[in-house]
Amino acid sequence: MIHLCLYSLFLTLYSCRTDEVIYPTIGTHVTDEVRQGGLYVLCEGNMGSNKARLDYMNLESGDYYANWYGAQNPHQVKELGDVGNDIQVYGGKLYAVINCSHKLEIMDLQARRITQVDIPNCRYLAFHDDKAYVSAYVGSVADADMLGSVFEIDTLTMQITREVKVGHQPDELCVLDDRLYVVNSGGYITNRHDSTMSVIDLHTFTETEKIVVGSNPQRLRVDDQGHLWICNENEVRVMNHSALVTIIDLKASNISICGNTAYLLDAENKVLYAYSTIDYNLSNIQFPISNFENPYGLLATDDAIYIADAKNYVSSGVLHCYSLDGKERWTAKTGDIPGHLCRISAAYDLHGDTTPVTHHSSYIKHVYEYMPGMGQFVNELPKYEEGDDAAAMCRKCEAAIGNNAGGMVSLGGWGGYITFGFDHPVENLDGYDIRILGNAYYMSGSTVYGSSEPGIVLVSVDENANGIPDDTWYELKGSLYDKQVYTSRTYTRAGDTLQNPFHTQPYYPQWIAEDSYTLSGALLPSQSQTISGQVVQTILDYGYADNKPNTDTIGTAFDLSWAVDSIGQPVALTTVDFIRVYTAVDEINNPTGEISTEIIGAIDLHINN
Amino acid sequence: MVRRISLILIFALSAFAVRAQNETDTLINRFQLEEVEVSARALTKDIIVPQTLSGEELQRLNALSVADALRYFSGVQLKDYGGVGGIKTINVRSMGSQHTAVYYNGVQLGNAQNGQVDLGRFSLDNMELIQVYNGQKSDIFQSAREFGAAGNVYLTTRKPYFKTGERAHVRAQMRFGSFALANPNVGVDIKLTDALSLTLDAEYVYSNGKYPFRYKRVLPDGTTAYDTTAIRQNGDINAIRTELGLHHYYRTTGFWRVHAYNYWSERGVPGAIVNNVWRNGERLWDRNSFVQATWQDEWFNRWSTRLLVKYANDYTHYQNYDVQLLPANNEYLQQEVYLSLANKIQVFNWWDLSVAYDYQYNSLKRDEWISGVTDERFYRHSHWLSAATAFNIREYLRLQASVLMTQISNLQSPISNPKITPGIFASFRPYPKIDLSINAFYKQSYRYPTFNDLYYTDLGNANLRPELARQHSVEVAYRFSNLQSSISNDFGYEIAASASYYYNRVTDKIIAYPKGQQFRWTMLNLGTVKINGVDAKADMSFYLPMRFVLRARLNYTYNTAIDVTNPNDSYYGHQIPYIPWHSGSAVGELDYTSRRGDHYGLSYSFIYVGERYGQQENTIYNYVQPWYTHDLSIYGEWTIRRYGIKANIEINNLLGQDYEVIQNYPMPKQNVRCTLAFRY
Repeated sequence: MIHLCLYSLFLTLYSCRTDEVIYPTIGTHVTDEVRQGGLYVLCEGNMGSNKARLDYMNLESGDYYANWYGAQNPHQVKELGDVGNDIQVYGGKLYAVINCSHKLEIMDLQARRITQVDIPNCRYLAFHDDKAYVSAYVGSVADADMLGSVFEIDTLTMQITREVKVGHQPDELCVLDDRLYVVNSGGYITNRHDSTMSVIDLHTFTETEKIVVGSNPQRLRVDDQGHLWICNENEVRVMNHSALVTIIDLKASNISICGNTAYLLDAENKVLYAYSTIDYNLSNIQFPISNFENPYGLLATDDAIYIADAKNYVSSGVLHCYSLDGKERWTAKTGDIPGHLCRISAAYDLHGDTTPVTHHSSYIKHVYEYMPGMGQFVNELPKYEEGDDAAAMCRKCEAAIGNNAGGMVSLGGWGGYITFGFDHPVENLDGYDIRILGNAYYMSGSTVYGSSEPGIVLVSVDENANGIPDDTWYELKGSLYDKQVYTSRTYTRAGDTLQNPFHTQPYYPQWIAEDSYTLSGALLPSQSQTISGQVVQTILDYGYADNKPNTDTIGTAFDLSWAVDSIGQPVALTTVDFIRVYTAVDEINNPTGEISTEIIGAIDLHINN
Repeated sequence: MVRRISLILIFALSAFAVRAQNETDTLINRFQLEEVEVSARALTKDIIVPQTLSGEELQRLNALSVADALRYFSGVQLKDYGGVGGIKTINVRSMGSQHTAVYYNGVQLGNAQNGQVDLGRFSLDNMELIQVYNGQKSDIFQSAREFGAAGNVYLTTRKPYFKTGERAHVRAQMRFGSFALANPNVGVDIKLTDALSLTLDAEYVYSNGKYPFRYKRVLPDGTTAYDTTAIRQNGDINAIRTELGLHHYYRTTGFWRVHAYNYWSERGVPGAIVNNVWRNGERLWDRNSFVQATWQDEWFNRWSTRLLVKYANDYTHYQNYDVQLLPANNEYLQQEVYLSLANKIQVFNWWDLSVAYDYQYNSLKRDEWISGVTDERFYRHSHWLSAATAFNIREYLRLQASVLMTQISNLQSPISNPKITPGIFASFRPYPKIDLSINAFYKQSYRYPTFNDLYYTDLGNANLRPELARQHSVEVAYRFSNLQSSISNDFGYEIAASASYYYNRVTDKIIAYPKGQQFRWTMLNLGTVKINGVDAKADMSFYLPMRFVLRARLNYTYNTAIDVTNPNDSYYGHQIPYIPWHSGSAVGELDYTSRRGDHYGLSYSFIYVGERYGQQENTIYNYVQPWYTHDLSIYGEWTIRRYGIKANIEINNLLGQDYEVIQNYPMPKQNVRCTLAFRY
C-alpha cells in the first residue's frame, strides 16, 4: 500500500526532460525616451559558465533585448561563449572579444556573426586603419616569462597578420600617432604586479619602449588632447607619451572619455567623477550611484551616460542610463556582469529592420538625389570635394539637413532638385502632413514682401518597393498652380561663365562627369520687385517650399491631399515615401544672384519626437 | 535460519555474511557477534535510523565509487563533474557539501584546504557498509567531532571472516568497461592468530575518459538550433589504492585496529565545455595517505573507552599545460594529526553518559608558481569537547542530548570564542508490539572556514565566522514483516518505510563576493538559506517461492532551499543553485538461489533528479533540465568447492541520455562495465 502510494506520488511529480531550448531574445520596453541608434551590452558571465551574453538596446524604440546574439545566431554551437571581455564597432562591423573562448567574434552591425579569429586568452580591442589590435594574456607560443602579446588582425581578410610580445597580462590598448600603447597589468602575479605600458611602433610592429605607469595598470584611453589616461591600482595618470601630465588621486575601476570630459568610476566608493580633459577640473555633476551593489560597465556618449551595476557578479546586472546632468532616465535588467558597452548609430528591431518598431524620427533620414541647377551656391552648400560622386553629395546633404541637423542645402538655379525621405512613409491624414524648412524671411515690417525663393514640392510612393525614387511623381498643387508653365532647361559646363564676385567657385556641379544635363519642371512667374532699393519678392500664398519664414508653422506646411497627377487631377495618396523639391523660379538679380530654393530640413507632423 | 537473521540485520549485513554465519568457529563468532551487535544496535539504539547500503546489495548496484552509491539515498544531492575522474561531492539535505562529514572506518576524512571530500575516489570494492545519518549518529559513544557535522556519511570497509580451518582468503577481481576502463582489484585476508588478522587490499583504476557526448539545442519552434557530438578529452585517470588493516580482538570486550591507506592518482581535468573550447590541458596529481588506529575496551560492563589516533598526509600537484591559459604549477601539502578519547558510562540500565575530547592539528603548505607564492604555510589547532547523555523511559521513549564545544584557532585569525552547539534527539514508540516510531531531532552545527576561505590569495578573508546550520526534523518510521509469525510460510515479506519532514536554516553562509576594483573576490559571511523538505523511503524484500527474492528500494525527496539573504537581491526567494525540487530513485532486484547455492540475479535502477537552476537567480538562462538514468545489471555467483566466482555485467544510462549534472560538464552516454571476481 505504502509502496503504491509512494510510487504514484513519484509518477505525478515526475517531470520529463525535454529538448534543451535556446530561448529567443525578449524585448522589454524600458523607456519612452527616444535617442538615436542603439547600444550593445556585452555581459561577461562567470568563467566556465559559458554565459557571455550580448544584449541590445534600441534607443529609438526604447526596447531592451536580452540575449540578442542568441536570437541572431541561433545555430552557433555553445552560443556566444565564455567571458565576454570587450566590444567595439569599427568600419561597419561589430567586434567582440570572448576571453575564455579564446576568440575575436566578428559580426555585422546587427550582431549577425560573420566569422571568428582564434586568439588565445584575448582581452581588449583597438583599431587603426584597416587593422584591429587585440591584447592577449598569452602569445601563440607559450612563453617562459608569461609575457602576453598583441595580435594584429586584418579587418578585410580577418586573419592574424602580426604578433608582438609585450609585458605581463596586457589589458587595454589604444593607437595614437602611429604608435600602439598597451598597459601590462600583471594582475595574475599576486606579489609583483607589472607596472609598465608597452609602446609598439605600428610600422615595424615591435615594442620600442616600456614606460613605467604605476602598479597593475588595467585601463588605457586616449582623450581629445592626445593624452593617455591610465588607471592603475592606485591612481589615474594622464600622460603625453612618456611625460606625466598630471595624476588624479583616484582608484578608478573604469573610465570613459567623451568630448573633453573623462568619466572615472570609483567602484569601491560608488562615485562617478567627471574631469575636464583640458584643465583636469572636477565637474560638480553628481551621478546617483551610491546604491549600486557593484558599479562595473561604463560608457559616456554625447547624450547619455550608461553605468552598469554588476550586483554580486553571479546574477543579473542592471544597466542605468543617465542624462549628462546626472538624472536617471531608465534602467534595464542585463545578463551576468554587464561590463562592456558600445553605441551604434543604427537602431534595429527584432527582425533586424532598420526601422524602429514603434518610434520614428520626424526628421529627414535619407537624401536620395541631389541635382542642383547651376548657381552661386552649387559646390558650396554642400561643399564639393575632389572625388565626391553623386552618392557622396547625397550623404553630405543628409549630414546637413538630415535628422534636424540644421544645415542648409541650396538647389541652385531653376529646376535644381533634391529628393529626400524619412525613416518611414509619411501618412496623409487630415490637415497638414509635413513642413519643409527654408531660409525665406519677411521684409522688415511686412508680411507681403520678403525673400521668397519658392520651390515646387513633388511626392511619390515607392510603388515598386525598391527603395529608390523611380516611381510616379505627383505635384503638391500650390497657390500659383494655374500660372505655372512646364518646360525644361539644359545646363552645360561651357555655360558656367556667370561669376558673381562673391562666389567664384565653379557653378556647374563638379561631381557630374557629363558636360551637360537637362532639368525639367514648372516655371513660376517672377515675383521680384525693388522696394526702397531692395530686391524683394511677393510672398506666395501657400504650397511652395522656401516661400515663407520657418517661424510660420502654417506657411511652411503642406497637405498631401494637394497632390495632383500630370494632368492636374487630384490623387488620393494614403502615404508617400519620397519628397522632391525643385527651384521653380528662373531669375538672376544683381547683386544677390539667382533665386535658388534652399532647404534646411523637413518635419513629419504626425510624429511626435 | 536465513530469514531470522535477515530480520535482525535487515539491510545491514550481506548475504555472504549471512551464509558465513551458518558454520562458525570461535573467531567468526566473535566477528559476527560484533557485527550483529552493531546492527542490532542500529535497530534498537539508533534514534535516527541511518540510511544504509551494505554487502552484496552494494556490490550489485550499478556503482563504481561511493559517490555512485550515494545517489540511491534520499535527501542526498550529488554533484558530479562526469567520468571516472570527475569530482563527485554530496550535500545532505541541501546544506552544502562542507556541512557533510565523511568517516572512513570511524575516523573523519579531512580536507582542511577546501572542506570537500571527493567521494569518487573511494572504491566500492572493499566497502562493506555505507550509512548516511542526518544530524548525527545517535549513539552517544562516539568521538567529540562526530557531534559536529550536520550530515554524516560513514564508510566501513570489509572485515575478514574465517570459517573453521581457514587461514586466508584471497579475492581477485577484474573489471573492464567502456572508455578503456580497466580496474583490477586484489584483496587478501590472513588469519595470523586466532585473535589477530590482517587484510590487504589493492586496486588500480585506469580510464582514458574519452566518452562521447552530445549537445543538442532546439529553437522554440522545435527546429534544431545545433546538434554536436564530441569526445571528452583530457579526462583520463590512473589511480592506485592500497590498504592495510590489522584487527586484533582480545577478551570479549576489547579490540584494536590499525588501518593504513594510500591513494595515488594522476588525472586530467577535463574542464567545462564552452564555445570554442573542447579540450583543456590541466593535470592533477594526488596522493592521500593516512594511518589510523582505534582501540576500544570496556570495564565492569559499565565503562567503555575508545581511543582514536590518526596521521594524514595529502599532497596535490596541479599543473596547467593549456597554452591558451596562463601556465600554472601549484603544489599543496596538507598534514593532519588527530587524537580522540571517548568514554561512556552506564549509570543505570536506562541512563548512559559520555564525554569525549578530540584534538586535531592541520597544516597546509602552498606553492603557487604563477602568483609567486612559495612555501606559504598555514596551520590550525582544533579542540572539541563533547558531553552526551541518553535516557530510555520504559520502551516508549528514548532521548539523547549532546552538547559540543568547539574551539578552533587559526594562524593569523582572531581567536574565536568557543562555540557551543546542542543537539537533542528523541524517539517515541507508542506500541510495544508494533515497530512504529516517531523520531525527532534538533541540532545546531557549525561549518568552519577552510584554509581556502581564510587565506586564498586575493580572496581569503581571515575574519570569517563559521557558518551555522540549524536542523529540525521529524520522522515516522514503520516496519512490518510476516517472517516472525510464519517461519514456514512460503511467502515472506519485510517492509520498512519512513517519511520525514525537515526544516533547516543556514545562516552566516560563507560565499565568495566581489569587492572593490577590478573584479576581486573575497569571502564573506553573507547568506541565509531556508530549507524545507520531505524525504520518503521504503525498503522491501519479498521472499517468493522457488528461492526467489525480490527486493525493492524507493526513495523520494522534495525540498525547497530558498535564498532569503536580502529582499533586494534579484534571487531573493529563489531556489539555491543545483538543488532540485524533486529527486528520487528506485531499485529493483530479483535474486534466485539454486539448490546448490548459486545465485543469479537481475537488478534495475532508476535515478531521477528534477529540474533545478545552475545559478542563484532562477531565470530561463540558468535553468537546468531534469536528468534520469536507467541502469541494468545481471549477475551470477557460483560456488565450486571452496572457490567462489562472480560475474556481473552492468549497462549504465541504458537509454543514452545526454545530460549534465553541472552545467557545461557533460556526462557519459550509455556505457558498460563487466566484472569478474574470484574468491577463495
